Amino acid sequence: MNSRFDPTVESVNASELVDPTGSRTHSGLGRRARDGSIEISAPAGIVSHDPDDLVVTVLAGTKVSEFSDAIGLQKQFVPLDPRSDQATVGGVIASGLSGVRRLGFGPLRDNLLEVRFVTGYGKLVKVGGPTVKNVTGFDIPRLLVGSLGTLGLIVQATFRCRPLPSESRWFTTSSEPGGALQKMFRPTAILSDSRSTYVLLSGEAVDVATSCRLLASCTETADVQLPEGPHRGRMSVAPATLASVEMQLRATKASDLRWLIEWGVGTIHLAADSSTSIALARAIAVDAGGWLLIEDGAEDLDPFGVTIPNLAIMSRLKRAFDPDEKFARGRFG
Amino acid sequence: MKSGPLGLDPELLNACVSCGLCLPHCPTFRVTGLEIASPRGRIAAMNAVETGMAPLKRPFIDAMAECVQCLGCETACPSGVRFGRLMEDSRATIAHRSGLRALLSRAFGAIAYRRLLPNQHVLHLLSWVLLVAQRMRVMPKRFRSSVPRLTRHRLRRTLNVTVGGNPDVWLFTGCVMDAWLQKTHVATAAALRSTGVRIARPDSRAGCCGALAAHAGRRDIARSLAKSVVAAMPGAAPIIVNSAGCGAALKDYGHLLGDADAERFAARVFDISEWLVAQTASPLATEARTSIVIQDPCHLRNVQRTHDSVRLLLGGAFALLETNDDGMCCGAGGGYAANQPDLSTKITKRKAKALRDAGASTDVAVCSSNPGCTFALEAAGFKVVHPAELYADCIAPDRGEPRNG
Amino acid sequence: MLAPRFNTRESERARAEPLELSLYSRDAGLANGQAGAVCFPRDASDVAFAVATCKKLGVPFVARGSGTGLAGGATPLDDALVIVTTQMNRVISIDAASRTAWVEPGLLNLDLTRAAQPYGLHYAPDPSSQQACSIGGNVATNAGGPHCLSSGSTTAHVLAVEAVLPNGEVAMLGSTAPDQPGFDLRGIFVGSEGMLGIATKVLVKLVPNPPQIQTMLLDFMSIDEAAATVSAIIAAGIMPAALEMMDSRITAAVEDFVGAGYPRDAAAVLLVEVDGLSGGVDHQASLITEIGRAHGAREVRLARSESERQLLWKGRKSAFGAIARIAPDYYLHDAVVPRSKLVGVLRTIYEIADSHDLTMMNVFHAGDGNLHPLIVFDRRVIGVWERVQAAGTEILERCLAAGGVLSGEHGIGLEKRAMMAQFFSEADLELQARVADALDPHGLANPGKVLPAGFRCGEVGINRTLPEGTWI
Ligand SMILES: Cc1cc2nc3c(=O)[nH]c(=O)nc-3n(C[C@H](O)[C@H](O)[C@H](O)COP(=O)(O)OP(=O)(O)OC[C@H]3O[C@@H](n4cnc5c(N)ncnc54)[C@H](O)[C@@H]3O)c2cc1C
Ligand code: SF4
Ligand code: SF4
Repeated sequence: MNSRFDPTVESVNASELVDPTGSRTHSGLGRRARDGSIEISAPAGIVSHDPDDLVVTVLAGTKVSEFSDAIGLQKQFVPLDPRSDQATVGGVIASGLSGVRRLGFGPLRDNLLEVRFVTGYGKLVKVGGPTVKNVTGFDIPRLLVGSLGTLGLIVQATFRCRPLPSESRWFTTSSEPGGALQKMFRPTAILSDSRSTYVLLSGEAVDVATSCRLLASCTETADVQLPEGPHRGRMSVAPATLASVEMQLRATKASDLRWLIEWGVGTIHLAADSSTSIALARAIAVDAGGWLLIEDGAEDLDPFGVTIPNLAIMSRLKRAFDPDEKFARGRFG
Repeated sequence: MKSGPLGLDPELLNACVSCGLCLPHCPTFRVTGLEIASPRGRIAAMNAVETGMAPLKRPFIDAMAECVQCLGCETACPSGVRFGRLMEDSRATIAHRSGLRALLSRAFGAIAYRRLLPNQHVLHLLSWVLLVAQRMRVMPKRFRSSVPRLTRHRLRRTLNVTVGGNPDVWLFTGCVMDAWLQKTHVATAAALRSTGVRIARPDSRAGCCGALAAHAGRRDIARSLAKSVVAAMPGAAPIIVNSAGCGAALKDYGHLLGDADAERFAARVFDISEWLVAQTASPLATEARTSIVIQDPCHLRNVQRTHDSVRLLLGGAFALLETNDDGMCCGAGGGYAANQPDLSTKITKRKAKALRDAGASTDVAVCSSNPGCTFALEAAGFKVVHPAELYADCIAPDRGEPRNG
Repeated sequence: MLAPRFNTRESERARAEPLELSLYSRDAGLANGQAGAVCFPRDASDVAFAVATCKKLGVPFVARGSGTGLAGGATPLDDALVIVTTQMNRVISIDAASRTAWVEPGLLNLDLTRAAQPYGLHYAPDPSSQQACSIGGNVATNAGGPHCLSSGSTTAHVLAVEAVLPNGEVAMLGSTAPDQPGFDLRGIFVGSEGMLGIATKVLVKLVPNPPQIQTMLLDFMSIDEAAATVSAIIAAGIMPAALEMMDSRITAAVEDFVGAGYPRDAAAVLLVEVDGLSGGVDHQASLITEIGRAHGAREVRLARSESERQLLWKGRKSAFGAIARIAPDYYLHDAVVPRSKLVGVLRTIYEIADSHDLTMMNVFHAGDGNLHPLIVFDRRVIGVWERVQAAGTEILERCLAAGGVLSGEHGIGLEKRAMMAQFFSEADLELQARVADALDPHGLANPGKVLPAGFRCGEVGINRTLPEGTWI
């Protein structure tokens, strides 16, 4: 189809086991046995950016930092927001981890329009389409988001861009986060850790000011950082349960456990010095009907932790993409 | 393309593009979820019969009979499909086909539409029979919501208006309205007089507008009734009607009779609210603002399309509460409650919920201007008043006519 | 052979009377099929029973909501069982604090928004058919609507789907928690046009009503100017809540129905809505006015009241229906093109229609570049259908050549499946077929849709030709 991708297709065809690889910034995710796998990386570079149409196509091996800089020149952005901007675009898609601006800009999957990838049976295919709206065929790009390398080698992606807001500022507030969420109109993010509530507001200056006035207090602050530590995980629970989950996290009295909650979304970013604390947190997540995905460390814990729902369906799908289980063998059935 | 066994105008039939936008506005579709009980389905069924794909038998005939003829579909249809015409034409063909069933129903129609309704004396006599039947609890179930609770008070003849002559405006009195809703006529007369006009009612020739006959496909009867109605109200004076169904029928005489005289007659017809709003520069304005739930009779909303005038008329004096159901039909539909009791009950239940959600209660009355709706809603436990009664009470608070009873 | 099996359960829930069946032979599109039986389940177990019965008998089944689909998606082929969801139409629960609701698939889109109203919330995707279409149908087609420009199509508003899979199992896809481990099965189900199963329960997102809304009507003396305005608004980085375009013929037809004061003499009008906090709304409204004027807008009218706004929208949303006022039949495409290419594409497609001596009109979601070129005609005119098809194909080719796609929201269904090969390579289509085969190995779930003939493996042995009397 496109000579640029021929080498990747060939390498997939030539290998028995393939490990699609980006910058390894998320390599702790979903951990896997690598024995005998050939690491294959996607090519890098911006393919096209149509600023007037707010659409950009990028090769999957491109680092997020380079990608963001390039479209930033046209005052546009794609809310990929990985923990490290050294991550590759393909890696971000495969890991499926949305960033902290998800409340305002939607999950990663809603920003992805088209993907080209190499299947396990060695064919380069296109799924989705290059326009901002499209229902031509099944919505396979969404399956690839969070597929953790099981469905194929992602080589190119098309995203919708957004214009950079005229203002985008972080604030700390003494307002209780759940209440702030109910009061404000389309905040970009409402986060909290054990000490403070953080609000990200974007838009016209007057609107940022108006939104601030709805809060009990509003002090501008620097960008909020995700918790760091040798053992990290990401909890996913129903947004309605966040307050009670947070109470339980406090109740663990695990002093090494740090968290950042995305209100209105249901994601909790966790970091700890010991994997035991992560295990405690996982028990709370499961109890609340949710999950805790290991992002890094915690080698003694299962990367997913629970029986993955609908595993039988997933394994049927996995076989459709990769009949010989070339990619990430053993994961998702 | 020529028409088939139903004799429908192919242009009218073809105007439907099957978009389905009418579905949610159709009461029978809403309560059944069946395509055959929807406007789109009924049109497709007509098409099937017209093109010979389906026989002119049951279930087609049942499907036509199940339609309330509320014309919610016509109002909703962006393509301007004339559903009412298609349905009346289909029913006319059905009514005149051969066979025992058809014969019996024609005989019944002839008695009901020709002998009973247009004849005030017979109707009055029957009312007393019904009153007794109600007291003895031997009223057939299917008539329970189409006949109001009759009382001696209700049957008292209190309307005091000249018969015939050369008035400034005519008050059309009709059949059922005259028999069972005299209080509305009294209020209407008061409201009309308050504008300084001389009024008169037509003589007994205008005993019934013929709407029920026309809806049942009996255009022959409807035409002869219409002719006498026209003859009973000569001249150029406006004709005021306080029953939404009768008003719609009178306004359609041009089409029914198909001549220029009838067209001219139809142009003189006004709904009472429509007329009052046009007369009074500043309708009511009071501080009291009693709450009232507005119910749009289908023939006011979907046929006459003058339902806004009720709001204009009363908005200044009442807090008007609206239902959240796009003015859906109440299921009474002329003879519908008697012919299709099951569907009718389901539709009325749905309406009752919408009215209660809007605030109707033992204290907050429902305002309606159609006898069929009024009886069905009363049977469902609502207090129902006519806009003319509300208006008359405001302009003459002590006119001494009880609102209910 | 099907109906009796349901009758043993409850006779009201299945029918096979020929006249009634014929009413389920099509949706709002053009294609006619043939239903073998129709059933009206009340809950997931009824649906599972129906699907399991089909599986046992080897009979195909088709889900149907309100039948407002425009691509023949709900058209039954091969005497399929039509599974109608109209009696599964409850709002199961609304959680105002989490801004979500569980609903049954037959619930009408607008009824959901009505149910959410008391909480100051609404359901964002608002197809023009919103008063009539069902949430299940919306999920299956990934329906869009004017207000999906800023908020995204159905898939962005569906958190979880309970579905009966083609093998008769009931599965919960997605969750109230944001990320279920593994593949986004919810994501692949949305937009699968009934081919991966039947939705029996849907968890939708509700959104707060915006504090301020400004609706604007811009009118132009040429289509080029209107199209250029759209491109310029997007290029300026403005993201209106909705940005719709209607050409002169549509505007006149709509005005006959609603009387909203649309200018009958304009070559094109833009209906633009901005919403949010007052600062952004004012800022965007004035920028849009400026851009409009710079591109030749004759008048920029701001809706002064909610009722005026409602009337303007009623006009826009009645547009397809109002077409019959012009001619009895229409053939509609749903292509999407890059918004920067609107002027050129629009100009060519009008030329294409002219060259085939056909009347074409356009009413579309301009902000997304989602065109709805609509050819109106009268099927009784001999030879017209061939011209309509030829023009349709050329129009699509032009849209694809401009970097567009086949369908933005109506889906592929039966009517566009033959064109899939123009957009996708054989390898692409093979993968899509593999996905369908993985979940539906016997090819019984709405077969003959979306994928062109010859790609599914279950296809062998099933008569894939359209029945007698089919008109498409
Ligand atoms: C006037 C008009 C305007 C329109 N405007 C728009 C618009 O602005 N945007 C837009 O996107 N569409 C629009 N449409 C198209 C149509 O309304 C949408 O496609 C809608 O989503 C269909 O819903 P429905 O309930 O009518 O589904 P149906 O037509 O009954 O079915 C559509 C498809 O969904 C499948 N399906 C239905 N229910 C289920 C279920 N429970 N589980 C699985 N599959 C199911 C069917 O098999 C079929 O493939 C319009 C249509 C009309 C007539
Ligand atoms: S009657 Fe009108 S609204 Fe109903 S399906 Fe036909 S064209 Fe559409
Ligand atoms: S007239 Fe009323 S009941 Fe009859 S099809 Fe139309 S909407 Fe339905």
